[in-house]
Amino acid sequence: MKLLQCPINGIRPLSEFTYGGEYRDMPDPDTCTDKEWAAYVHYRNGAPGLKKEWWYHGPSGTWFIAERDTMTDKVSRTYIAGQEEKQ
Amino acid sequence: MQDAVLMSPVAFAHALKKPVSGDVNGMQTALSFADADVEATRSKTLSICDVSNLNRFGVKGPQAADWLKAAGIKLPETTNSWTSQENGSLVMRLGNTEFLLEDKPENQLAKTLSDTAVEQSGVHKVLRNDAAFIVSGELTPALFSEVCAIDLDNGSLEDNRLVMTVIAGVSATLLKQTLNGQSVYRIWCDGTFGPYLWKALLGIIEEQGGGPVGFNFYYNA
Repeated sequence: MKLLQCPINGIRPLSEFTYGGEYRDMPDPDTCTDKEWAAYVHYRNGAPGLKKEWWYHGPSGTWFIAERDTMTDKVSRTYIAGQEEKQ
Repeated sequence: MQDAVLMSPVAFAHALKKPVSGDVNGMQTALSFADADVEATRSKTLSICDVSNLNRFGVKGPQAADWLKAAGIKLPETTNSWTSQENGSLVMRLGNTEFLLEDKPENQLAKTLSDTAVEQSGVHKVLRNDAAFIVSGELTPALFSEVCAIDLDNGSLEDNRLVMTVIAGVSATLLKQTLNGQSVYRIWCDGTFGPYLWKALLGIIEEQGGGPVGFNFYYNA
C-alpha cells in the first residue's frame, strides 16, 4: 500500500488522497501579457523532476502541497500552503 | 406526539430487519430490533446502532472558535480531537477552524445554536445531514481491520482524539467514547452514503455473530 503524509492527519493510504495538479505561481492577470497568461492557463510542464503539487485529503477536506519527484514518485515533504516554514 | 417529518437516512436499509420505529427529534428512527436481552448480547459481541436523529450543528470560519467560546462552550484544544460538555453534548474539532457539535436526546445545545442567527463575519454555519452510527462490542477491532484504511489498534483514538479516514470506501469521522459505561465507537458519514455503509458494516457484523441494536438501547427516547 502506498502511503502519503497529510500535514494535518498524519500518514494515510494513498487511496484517501486526490491529486490536484502542479502548484504554479499565477502571473498577475492585470499586468502580465496575453502570452504569459495563455501560457499559464494552457501549458503544463510534463518533464519529470522534483515538483510542487496540490493534493487533497478527502475525509478531512484538507488541501496541501506535496513536493514530489515525478521521476521516482518519492515525496520529500508535505505542508499546508502558506505554512511551509512551520512543517 | 408530533408526526415524524423526516426519516433517518438509513431508514430504508433498516426496513428488512423490521424494527420497532418511532419519532425522535422529528426523525423516524429504529428504536429496537430485538428483545432487550438479545440486543444486550449483540452489543457485547458486535453491534451497530443508527443515531442519525441526534441534533447536530456544524460551524466553521476564522472566528468560529471565538463565537463558540462566547456562547459558553468548552472547546477541544487541538485539531482532530473532541470533548464533551457538562450536559453530555459532544464538541468535535474537525480542523483549525471547523467544529461539529452533537446533542444527546435530552439536551438542546446544538439545536439552540442552529436556531441562533449569525451576524458576525468569519463564522459560517455548516449544514449537516450525517448518517451517524454507534458500533460496539469486543469484536470491533476485527470489524475495523476489514473495512478501515488505518490501524486503530495503535491507540490512534485514545486521549479524545478523532480520526477522519475512509471506512468501507466512504469518508467518515470516527471516535471512541464511553456511553452508559460501555466503550463504543462513533461514526459519522455523509447521509447519502449511510445506507451503503450500514449494509456493509452490518454484513460483517452478522458474519461475526452480532447484529443491529435500536436507538433505545443507548438512549431513552
